[in-house]
Amino acid sequence: MNFASPAFWPPTTQEIVFLLLGVIAVGSAVLVVTTRQLVHAALWLVVSFGALAGGYLVLTAEFVAWVQILIYVGAIVVLLLFGIMLTRAPIGRSADLDSGNQIAALVVGVATAGVLVSVLVAGFRHAYMPLTPGAGAAKPLGSSIFRTWVLPFEALSVLLLAALIGAIVLSRTDIRGR
Amino acid sequence: MTDTITAPTIEYLLLSPLLVVFGAAIVGVLVEAFAPRYLRAAFQVPLTLLSLVAAFALVIFVVVKDGVPNKAAAMGAVAADGPALFIWGTILLLAFVSVLLIGDDFVPSAVAVPGSVEEERAVSEGAAHTEVYPLVLFAVGGMLLFAASNDLLVMFVALEVMSLPLYMLCGLARRRRLLSQEAAMKYFLLGAFSSAFFLYGTALLYGYAGSIDLSKISTSLSSVGGQDSLLFIGAAVLGVGLFFKIGAVPFQMWKPDVYQGAPTPITALMASGTLVAAFGALLRVFWVALGNLEWDWSPVVWAVAILTMVVGAILAITQTDIKRMLAYSSIAHAGFILTAVVATAGAKQNSLALSGILFYLVAYGLTTVGAFGVVTMVRDPGGEAWHLSRWAGLGKRSPKLAMVLAFFLLAMAGIPLTSGFFAKYAVFSAAVSGGAVALVVVGVVASAIAAFFYVRVIVLMFFSDPAADGPSIVMPIATRGVVGFAALATVVLGVFPQPVLDLASKAAQSLFVR
Amino acid sequence: MEPIVEHSGGVIGASWLMIAFPLASAAILLLGGRRTNAWGHLLGVFAPVASFVVAVMCFLQPSGRYDVGLYDFIPGVAKVGLLIDPLSITFALLITGVGSLIHIYSIGYMAHDPERRRFFAYLNLFVAAMLLLVLADNYLVLFLGWEGVGLASYLLIGFWQFKPTAATAAKKAFVVNRVGDFGFLVGLFTIFATFGTFAFGPVFDNAAKASNGTLTAIGIMLLIGACGKSAQLPLQSWLLDAMEGPTPVSALIHAATMVTAGVYLVVRSGAAFFPEGATASLIVTIVGVATLLAGAIIGTAKDDIKKALAGSTMSQIGYMMLAAGLGPAGYAFAIAHLLTHGFFKADLFLGAGSVMHAMKDEVNMRRYGALRALMPVTFITFFIGYLAIIGFPLLSGYFTKDGIIETAMDSNAILGWLAVIGAGITGFYMSRVVFMTFFGSKRWADDVHPHESPSVMTWPLIILSIGSIFLGGYLILSNRLMVYLGPAVGLPEALPQFHPFSPTGLATLALVALGAAIAWVRYGSAEVPQVAPRGSFLTTFARRDLYGDALNEALLMRPGQWLTRLAVWFDNKGVDGVVNGLAAGIGGSSGRLRRIQTGFVRSYALSIFVGAAVLVGAWYVVGNL
Repeated sequence: MNFASPAFWPPTTQEIVFLLLGVIAVGSAVLVVTTRQLVHAALWLVVSFGALAGGYLVLTAEFVAWVQILIYVGAIVVLLLFGIMLTRAPIGRSADLDSGNQIAALVVGVATAGVLVSVLVAGFRHAYMPLTPGAGAAKPLGSSIFRTWVLPFEALSVLLLAALIGAIVLSRTDIRGR
Repeated sequence: MTDTITAPTIEYLLLSPLLVVFGAAIVGVLVEAFAPRYLRAAFQVPLTLLSLVAAFALVIFVVVKDGVPNKAAAMGAVAADGPALFIWGTILLLAFVSVLLIGDDFVPSAVAVPGSVEEERAVSEGAAHTEVYPLVLFAVGGMLLFAASNDLLVMFVALEVMSLPLYMLCGLARRRRLLSQEAAMKYFLLGAFSSAFFLYGTALLYGYAGSIDLSKISTSLSSVGGQDSLLFIGAAVLGVGLFFKIGAVPFQMWKPDVYQGAPTPITALMASGTLVAAFGALLRVFWVALGNLEWDWSPVVWAVAILTMVVGAILAITQTDIKRMLAYSSIAHAGFILTAVVATAGAKQNSLALSGILFYLVAYGLTTVGAFGVVTMVRDPGGEAWHLSRWAGLGKRSPKLAMVLAFFLLAMAGIPLTSGFFAKYAVFSAAVSGGAVALVVVGVVASAIAAFFYVRVIVLMFFSDPAADGPSIVMPIATRGVVGFAALATVVLGVFPQPVLDLASKAAQSLFVR
Repeated sequence: MEPIVEHSGGVIGASWLMIAFPLASAAILLLGGRRTNAWGHLLGVFAPVASFVVAVMCFLQPSGRYDVGLYDFIPGVAKVGLLIDPLSITFALLITGVGSLIHIYSIGYMAHDPERRRFFAYLNLFVAAMLLLVLADNYLVLFLGWEGVGLASYLLIGFWQFKPTAATAAKKAFVVNRVGDFGFLVGLFTIFATFGTFAFGPVFDNAAKASNGTLTAIGIMLLIGACGKSAQLPLQSWLLDAMEGPTPVSALIHAATMVTAGVYLVVRSGAAFFPEGATASLIVTIVGVATLLAGAIIGTAKDDIKKALAGSTMSQIGYMMLAAGLGPAGYAFAIAHLLTHGFFKADLFLGAGSVMHAMKDEVNMRRYGALRALMPVTFITFFIGYLAIIGFPLLSGYFTKDGIIETAMDSNAILGWLAVIGAGITGFYMSRVVFMTFFGSKRWADDVHPHESPSVMTWPLIILSIGSIFLGGYLILSNRLMVYLGPAVGLPEALPQFHPFSPTGLATLALVALGAAIAWVRYGSAEVPQVAPRGSFLTTFARRDLYGDALNEALLMRPGQWLTRLAVWFDNKGVDGVVNGLAAGIGGSSGRLRRIQTGFVRSYALSIFVGAAVLVGAWYVVGNL
């Protein structure tokens, strides 16, 4: 990762787009935790995830970007919304979304973010890597999954199977004796 | 770009123990799907036991056929080396005896609310969750993979494959169900939390080294410069995930609650198999990936080891639940093993320390399974007699059982002529020759404190009068066999440890594959 | 002495089977429980017989000193290995040979005991431990066997634990032996500290390099151990009480084998720690002479047949100790006397057991009398044992005891004459036993109908009495045993010659005859009162075990109690303060630490998080140092 790094100024188009997406992602994430409406929070999450997917795209990680949209935006947020509706959580403005610990939570969150950001900055300040278009597409990813990473991939499928069985055990009501 | 993918090379023979266990688990799932309800247990139990035996036999076959292998199999995902095979054999053996302990420990219907009409109906109908057998096999497969993974991604996946079924199984205790469900929930939440740490550490190390392969991380330590904070924080955060699994202080909180709540056979499996697997993985990370960084991590591991030994031993004293007491004892033992983890210096010293650890894992694993086996035998009307006061006078009521348990406890305390003595001797002498004398002094002091609460139980059993309505003793044949086997192993390893010590040092000779 | 060579394979390599047979049998009998009641005694007899066969096969191998390594016990510190040399083989033959006979005898003796199986299990355990003791190739494993025989002895003395006297006697034996074992342990530690190993070979080879003071200290410590096990002064008091155990136990453990372990220890360590003329050796001879006289005097006044024999055992072991302290010239006689004593004393004890069997477990000789016609086999075999022990010419004891007395006389005339006097007293008290039991008039209780014992009990008696006749002459004439043992324990500069009519020998015979004559006058021809008369001061002295217990009480128990009280006071004030403080501290910190374990998953997660932060911080700091 020690390629000669070009100057930071003037920024390229990609860099500008990436920065904008980053601002959107962070901004909508802040809104997620500050909005007074639960449903809005979930929807702001969609925006945040979407911006993240855009960031992946800019970094040529196409496959990850689409997975991000399919799974996080498509599945997880929808699951959240269903959860909110099915549990008859209050829809609309509610005042009790903040707990008394918000100051402490803020401190912990900022501190953690500070540590992580400083680590990443310290670690990657001089790191530079040219992007090759198509490197993050489905095809190269697929061939590497089914070659280099075939064993963890299969192990993951086992993991999902085990989780499935576990879910059945926990939820099945039709158990009758012999 | 062509449209073909070059097929990966998979060393099926080397991986066969793993594949057999996973395969049997999947067959078990199919049995659940297609076999009639009344036949399932009759299929599952032999299937599970046979697959474990077959996997064990395959481990031996691999070694006998080509000698101790020393290579990275399956495109570098799995390390097939001496320690891995030794640990595989150990885990399979411990899993086998733990499965034999399974009796009427599981809830008939997990979905029924505790104490509800549905539950009563399920009990009266004799319902049973035979899914526990494939789940146990999944967990065992995960343990095998965890201890032998050669890169951090495989290790993470294996960690999850191992843990997820265990989270489930913890919540299925037949009695004290609320406690059991609480334990499962806590284990799941904290396990997920620690997994996140593990994954984050992996990401940071990848950022540092550009690879998640353990040996490549090791080589990058000398070639990459100027990103030390990334390395240190990555390694530390990765360490949190691993320390959590072995129950090192301050990441031990889950252990007593989970050990107490889980069905006792599962507790036995976790206290033996999971600990063995976690130490296998921990050693790989610290010795292989971070082997050249020893000066940096060994003070930290020193501190963790000291805390673990002392806190485990001290907290065990005030426990009144036998399973919680054994959980704290397991924490202290993890600390004892850690003393040998830091005792690294040169290949010869490393293989000495490694063989000590391997011996310790076998000896402690069998003793602890035996002790939990005894726990399942002493019953109150409402299930196991968990409160220590119920064990008073057991020596008069059932002298043989009490003597066997006393023997296990003495082995855990490390009294000579038991396996525990040689286990402690092996790790402590390795630590001394590795220069960790102060650590050993703390270890001996912690052992003395630990001996106090072991002996307290013995005194309680033999020198107190039994209560009038004392617990009854149930002795299923399989449990009796397990306890007898564990006792025999504890004696044999205590009087005649040489073969296993030889085996361990042979397995440790070539150290881990790099 | 020959060097010890490593050996494996062949018959010698299989010598561990000797220990394995009785050990396995004991395990089967103890674990098998009542299921093995039907055939337990047969297995129990088979095991020592099988060991005897192995021992004989080892004996028939070419003589030498073989070290059979079995495995590393504590890697780098101690191996488990067997030393097969003439000395250990001799002991193994005695233990398994006499042991087998006593096992066979026990089938009959214990026939009516519901716990016979357990009895055989303990006996097997004893045989295994005793063999481990004599076959060990290092002091650590020897100590394991040493403790093993102590355990078996404790279990067997207290075998009839429903008798309070038996339980007390078992405890007494245990406690007194602890004193000896403590000395032994200190000796063991000193050996390890001095030589860095427990193995016989290196210890003996390097003994010359150690300082004289160290060697003497080790010698005295080992002697204390030997005194405890072999009931030598001042640790003799347990042996008389140990007679509460079943009679085969008294014969096997407290006469023929275990109590000779101290002699074995001294002879085995002789070259290193008890060389001729050293301080430690002198102490050994003094202890030996004192005990041989004390035991003999105790034997004169006891009315309990087993206690009289126990006093005699003490006395005879005193002779062996005396010989063992005399260097290579004495070793062969010590061992020879040990072997012949093993035969005739086992013979006498089993004979006594046979009498008790016939007399409804009556042990008081004042209730016996005139049994010779009713129990002819027992009488004849007992009489042979009697002649052997008093040293009747040409019987076993004559050769071996005379050898000891002659050697002692050569070394130091005082020791020699004291030993001669001891022989005279032996003549008196043994004649007293025989006359009170088999001669004179009937003094039985009305409901006793004496009868000869079954053949399973008499055959061992016959075999033992044959040994009592011939063994001594075989071993001593032409110095057979001395030459055989030479490679293991060393040879004296000149082999002794046997003089049939040496002045010492004649004096001994005369004193023995005098003793027997006095006994005849007092107990043979005269009527024996059924209730013991008050007796003289000396008789009381002897009856009370030479005030051994009183002495123990005055010298050890009372000061011990005062010391205990003082210690308790000190303990309460000082130590307890610290210990309780410590315990309370640990308990308190345990309680405080426990509060962290709140049970809330969120606080656990917080703990993990804080832990992670600390870990990261620490790592970062350490890494950047």
